[in-house]
Amino acid sequence: MKAILAFAPLFARLKGAMLLTLLLSLVTLAAGIGLLGLSGWFLTAAALSTLGSVFNIFAPSAGVRGLSFIRILARYGEKLSGHDMTLRLLSDLRAWLFARLFPLVPLARRFGRGDLVSRLLADVEALDTLFLVALGPISTAVLAGAAMTVVLALLLPGAAVIYAVLFFSAVLLVPVGLVLASRRAGAEVVAAGAALRQAVLDGIDGHQDLVLFGARDAAVASSDTAARRLSAARRRLGRNAALAGAMVQILAGGALVGALLVGFVALEAQQIDGPLLAGLLLAIIASFEASAMLVRSATRLAGAAAAADRLQAIATSAPGIAEPAAALPVPPGGEIRLEAVRFGYDPAHPVIDALSLAIRSGECVAITGPSGAGKSTIAQLLLRLVDPDAGVVRLNGADLRHVVGAELRRRIALMTQDAPVFLDTVRANLRIGRDGADDAALWQVLEAVQLADFVKALPGQLDAVVGEAGRTLSAGQARRICLARTLLSQADLIVFDEPTSGLDFDAESALLAELPALTHGRTAIVITHAVVPASFDRVLELRAGRIAERAHAPA
Amino acid sequence: MDDKAKIAAQGRWLNRLAMADRPLLAAVLGLPLLAGALLVTQALVLASLLHRAIVEGAAVAALWPDVLLLAAILLIRIGLGAFGEVAAVGFGEAIKRRLRATLVGELLGRPPVWTASKSSGGLSSTVLEQVEAMDGYFTRYLPAMVQAAILPIAFAAIAFSVDWIVGLLFLISAPLIPVFMALVGWGAEAASRSQAAALNRLSGRFADRLRGLVTLKLFGQDEAETARVRLASEELRVRTMRVMRIAFLSSAVLEFFAALGVAGVALYVGLTFLDLVNVRGTELTLAAGMFCLLMAPEVYQPLRLLAAHYHDRASAKAAVAAIEQELDALPMAATPSTRPAGATVAAGPALVELRGVALHDPAGRPVVDALDLLLEPGAQLAILGASGIGKSTLLEAIAGLRTFAGEIRLDGRLLGEIAEPDLRERLAMLGQRPRLFAGSIADNIRLGRRDADHAAVRRAAQQARVVDFADALPQGLATPLGEDGLGLSGGEIQRIALARIYLRNPGLVVLDEPTAHLDSATEALVLDGLAEFARGRTLLVATHSHAVAARMGKVFRIAGGKLLPAPKPALVRNVGAA
Repeated sequence: MKAILAFAPLFARLKGAMLLTLLLSLVTLAAGIGLLGLSGWFLTAAALSTLGSVFNIFAPSAGVRGLSFIRILARYGEKLSGHDMTLRLLSDLRAWLFARLFPLVPLARRFGRGDLVSRLLADVEALDTLFLVALGPISTAVLAGAAMTVVLALLLPGAAVIYAVLFFSAVLLVPVGLVLASRRAGAEVVAAGAALRQAVLDGIDGHQDLVLFGARDAAVASSDTAARRLSAARRRLGRNAALAGAMVQILAGGALVGALLVGFVALEAQQIDGPLLAGLLLAIIASFEASAMLVRSATRLAGAAAAADRLQAIATSAPGIAEPAAALPVPPGGEIRLEAVRFGYDPAHPVIDALSLAIRSGECVAITGPSGAGKSTIAQLLLRLVDPDAGVVRLNGADLRHVVGAELRRRIALMTQDAPVFLDTVRANLRIGRDGADDAALWQVLEAVQLADFVKALPGQLDAVVGEAGRTLSAGQARRICLARTLLSQADLIVFDEPTSGLDFDAESALLAELPALTHGRTAIVITHAVVPASFDRVLELRAGRIAERAHAPA
Repeated sequence: MDDKAKIAAQGRWLNRLAMADRPLLAAVLGLPLLAGALLVTQALVLASLLHRAIVEGAAVAALWPDVLLLAAILLIRIGLGAFGEVAAVGFGEAIKRRLRATLVGELLGRPPVWTASKSSGGLSSTVLEQVEAMDGYFTRYLPAMVQAAILPIAFAAIAFSVDWIVGLLFLISAPLIPVFMALVGWGAEAASRSQAAALNRLSGRFADRLRGLVTLKLFGQDEAETARVRLASEELRVRTMRVMRIAFLSSAVLEFFAALGVAGVALYVGLTFLDLVNVRGTELTLAAGMFCLLMAPEVYQPLRLLAAHYHDRASAKAAVAAIEQELDALPMAATPSTRPAGATVAAGPALVELRGVALHDPAGRPVVDALDLLLEPGAQLAILGASGIGKSTLLEAIAGLRTFAGEIRLDGRLLGEIAEPDLRERLAMLGQRPRLFAGSIADNIRLGRRDADHAAVRRAAQQARVVDFADALPQGLATPLGEDGLGLSGGEIQRIALARIYLRNPGLVVLDEPTAHLDSATEALVLDGLAEFARGRTLLVATHSHAVAARMGKVFRIAGGKLLPAPKPALVRNVGAA
């Protein structure tokens, strides 16, 4: 719950909208209570009126119609303002998350495997509906119950206490009890869900091994075991919620029966007249509408609290790479030196060890080697996505640890192995490489990566929307967009991590052969598992974390 | 198949899932209806109580029994509702569990090259998230649908027997209820669809940028992108709200009828009491009037419930569509893997013949064309060649993991005619990226033979040089491995995978780059172990290590779609190795 409070500033910005939504939902509820209560009073009063007595029919019938329309309008307004507020909160939350996440990049290794992105999305969504499905209904119920208690205290004092005790037990105690009772089952659902995901991922990623060892059925069975465990936990949660829902209704029923008895006694004692009693009883029935969704609200509140905890844990974690206290200027040029560098995600198992290499300014060098040999680690070291455990990485002589992050990223560009084409226009995708690059520059780089003809044929050309994992593009075109973006940057050194992954053999050879010319005048490091064309200056082979060979591979 | 037929087929598929468990389905749909019937008796008792107390002036003592009756009805009704809810949860869970088993069976029943070509995150999310998204359809939407179809008309019919005008008021809306439902359905679906579409687009963009966070940061786009995320969200909010203003009208329509029902009944009954309206032959009692008033909101309640759960249907349908897209088809039921009674498995070293084999890599590029190859029993052969040239594709074809043109025979039998379990017993293969599973090192080795005892596991671990690093760990072979073998190097993972094979007794051993991640000293030790195991077996190794090739009987290399004999490299240590 505490973590939710940390988001209070975001909610505070929407105070007005929240109050309006709350007010409208109160009006909706009050009009409903008034409508049924007034109707009950009117009906009974009319039934009791003796022939010939004067009965003012105008006021009650106008009241009934008026309350009906107020209820319709208030409900409509409540829905609109509630959704508008939720969407506003959503955009605030997303901007908040982005601002917090950027300093923490790269994320994956620190927050575990599994799909971090879907987890973040789900957590943000749990928070943005917090008011709409949890805080709003709970506040409305509490306020409506208080108002009803006051009315009863004035008109049928004996029933007020019964009503207050039972109603507030239903509104407050049952949801709290539910959340407490479901804590273990809730944690079990999360754990069982993770176990199921692990089992399914094991099956998918290890599919070939399972087939080879005839263990496919065992894998299906083990994921079914995990699915059963998840089902059992969810059933327990469902039983708890059903029980809590029944409790709420029993308490509400108790309030009705209690008020009925107290009312009959008061009626016999002539402390209250018949129409008023009928009106009050119907009003009590109508007031239960407020408690109908409470169980769901409580569950969502608990879910939002857990989501807030997770988001706060990420937001408040320290960035993995520290910015230098005193920044050193970097001399111009693109010369790189690794001096006895050691690095391992697990220090006991270094990925690279005692690695030294030097690449002169303007050279185009390929780094090859089997997967897992540490090739990508070199790229990450150069961009300070990780820092070495031992040794130094130097750009033109300057220790990278003393270079400001923004300056480093201006001087060195990296095209990662999984560089995405964003769901956006061609122009926006390219401009990520150089802010505000003009169309002439964009066409020039598209020409260079041989995409100009393709983009010219797109509807809207540079304004054509591409992306969503490059679905509108072939793998080769997507890679070339990323390549164009990287070339557009004004860095002195460009690192390409598997620039041809996902390309067929011909496209791969063609693209690799062009690279030295495309990066002419700048330093280029190309990490690849493919056959390196002769146009490269040098090939370094990395094996088991060391440079094992310096030879030009036969093209 | 056009879109409409596709959507209809998806709907039928969903309903078939629901029909698989008819008794539970009947409980899920029937219990809320029973509770609805009790609602009528509850209103009758309450109305008569009010009548007797207020009009007849009955003493409190005389009213007690009926108050108790009312309480009892309340309790039973609530109990039925709770049972219905529990049944619905159980119903939904049973469907989801069955569906997950079906999906996992379907995924793993396909060829491994198919799964490898998909993102494992996407596939796992069909089993987890997409299946979960169907929950509301079975647990909430279906019961709400049945209630909305039956209860309003039933309530109207009962009201008709009490007062025909009130009954008529409800019944006028009765023929309209399907129209309302269509209206609500249309409105709510349009609303939920447009909202879902807008939110999806926004979430899609958001997820898109989250996944590309590293790239954005590397190009210094941190602040610019944060601003753009907010801007895009705001833009979509404005557009969504424009749609919502119209979409929410449908719920206002429902609200209008609910209010109209209460107000209409109250005014009509009141005016009848005052004799301002008199269309009935007989006197109307307060009990009858009150009953009508109490039932008025209930006539429309089921429709509101349906509107509230309408989006569950939309999300279930979206999930079905997502599953269909990911799997290219909707799986029908768990397919038990067939285990035909195989012929007796041959023993000793295997004979392998390839005749006219043609293979394509995933990109459609030909790897080998009209390839002939004979591996005599006990032969040991290495295939050299740069990575990406297609060695793995050829090995996978021989191991029966991918389709090919031409003939491959094992012990004289066509590969496709050998029962899967027999093939796996006869042939062991080390893939290029062996996968470790959650569990200890020993558990992972035991994948080779699940009933292997400790001594056998230890022997295999020694032969594959696993003990060299495992014994340095505090728990030795019992050391639990993290996700994906986290904490182990590529070479260590490979050695564990080799130990798996050493637990088996295959006639043909196929190894894809068995020493790719090893330094030359370790490589030599691992190759000694391999030589020991491979004695009396047929061995086929793809490699670009000369140290491996030098130990094999024959060496070939792939070039230009052909398998060409290559000179056997001399056994020298790697140039530049430390």
